[in-house]
Amino acid sequence: MNESSSKGALWSFSNDLANAAEQASRGVVAIDARPRVPSSGIIWRPGAVVAAAHTIKREEEISITLPDGRSVPATLAGRDPSTDLAVLKLQDGEALAAEFGDASTLRVGHFVLALGRSGSKNLSASLGIVSSLGGPWRTWRGGQIDQFIRLDVAIYLGFSGGALVDSGGRIVGLNTSGLVGGMGMAVPAATVHRVVDELLAKGRIARGYLGVGMQPVPLPETLRAKLNLSGQAGLIIVSVEPDGPADRAGIFLGDVLVAIDGAPLDDIGDVQARLAPDNIGKTLRVSVLRSATVVELPVRVGERPRRS
Amino acid sequence: MASALAIAAEHLRRITVQVSGARRGGGSGVIWHPKGLIITNAHVASLRHPSVALWDGRSLRGSVVARDPGRDLAAVLVRAENLFAATVRPGNSLRVGELVLAIGSPWGFAGAAAIGVVHGLIPRTSDGTMQWVQADVRLAPGNSGGPLADAQGRVVAINSMVAGGLALAIATDEVERFLSESGVLNQPRAATRGEAA
Repeated sequence: MNESSSKGALWSFSNDLANAAEQASRGVVAIDARPRVPSSGIIWRPGAVVAAAHTIKREEEISITLPDGRSVPATLAGRDPSTDLAVLKLQDGEALAAEFGDASTLRVGHFVLALGRSGSKNLSASLGIVSSLGGPWRTWRGGQIDQFIRLDVAIYLGFSGGALVDSGGRIVGLNTSGLVGGMGMAVPAATVHRVVDELLAKGRIARGYLGVGMQPVPLPETLRAKLNLSGQAGLIIVSVEPDGPADRAGIFLGDVLVAIDGAPLDDIGDVQARLAPDNIGKTLRVSVLRSATVVELPVRVGERPRRS
Repeated sequence: MASALAIAAEHLRRITVQVSGARRGGGSGVIWHPKGLIITNAHVASLRHPSVALWDGRSLRGSVVARDPGRDLAAVLVRAENLFAATVRPGNSLRVGELVLAIGSPWGFAGAAAIGVVHGLIPRTSDGTMQWVQADVRLAPGNSGGPLADAQGRVVAINSMVAGGLALAIATDEVERFLSESGVLNQPRAATRGEAA
């Protein structure tokens, strides 16, 4: 490849990046909802901006700086700490201007841009690659994220809540450092769509709950053989919330959960998987180990009470 | 594209010099004019007669002819003719997201390159001309005074410091102002010389 054409390739790539930044910038805003440093946000629906929940420190006197420079007031419609997403409503139905894409088209090694508007409220960008991809995963707070996306890109101060942009200028996710101990992660667009719609409709994400504290314990081989238990472990109940769903079903301190609807439980994740919003109100057949025998109890899944 | 990067880095190395400072100080500089004008940071040019090392290994004695600590710029003259000089691009044509390359001597590794993108642009409040370029590039102390260039190898700023993880560089517009105010050059900046051979 001769010198001038290879130089052209670099220049061409550079322009592609700047074009992608410009295109997606039409959907990126700055948010004043905490002292000192503004955070970033994305216009996700007409009149609604999505942000990283951990950057929204107050519920009143929130203002948003739009791409054209105008500053407009906003109100908090709802937040979901489990996915670190929050939705702010704008007074005027600000139209959608950026294009959204599908994060499942990303591959490890793909160049991506992280866009934000902090500090000066002007557009800022950082360049990196998709570092690691995986399937659906649950955050430590029980939030369901459709795709594991880790980025080798700098999430600067104020960049949480900003856009993950592919080389075509499409917004494919929301960047945050608040999901996994300060690491640059992205919430894929599919998850943001789902959470935004629910927050706009209900103001919070309904989550199922049983009202117990539990811990995994290995089951002794002899007991498993005697009772014909297929799982290796169970979940010992270490606390029961008075009048919660488990309490009302007759679950006691010291019971060991071994199966739900016949399926053995290995860890808390297996239980949380049964507490998706669609299961609220449903009755689960819970098998507990009590005094060396298995007892089956019907437990009606409740809705997690809102923390004040 | 990997070869394009290697070629761009190679060009930039030829217009980058190492400037010695007091004790362990020093950093990099940019050859601004073929007749021996070097631009660097004021904080790099702490000696009145620093030693300037060229890419081809020559070491020349320099004289600081202008120094502006407020802008963190200094002009150093060396006795040489026909040096390879930088092609300069004004900062106000830069776009956020554009690729930028930094060349310098971070941690003493001469000619090391780093790549990133333009993170932000900070204009002067008085007239809106470009003053600072923020780059999402990993710099180390030896990069100070060296070039920040675009994907065509044109110098857009002089690396000055790291702030909040970002590289902060002085836009070439500011360098031009410094040169005209200090009277170092009677004529405008080094003429654009097209492709460096």
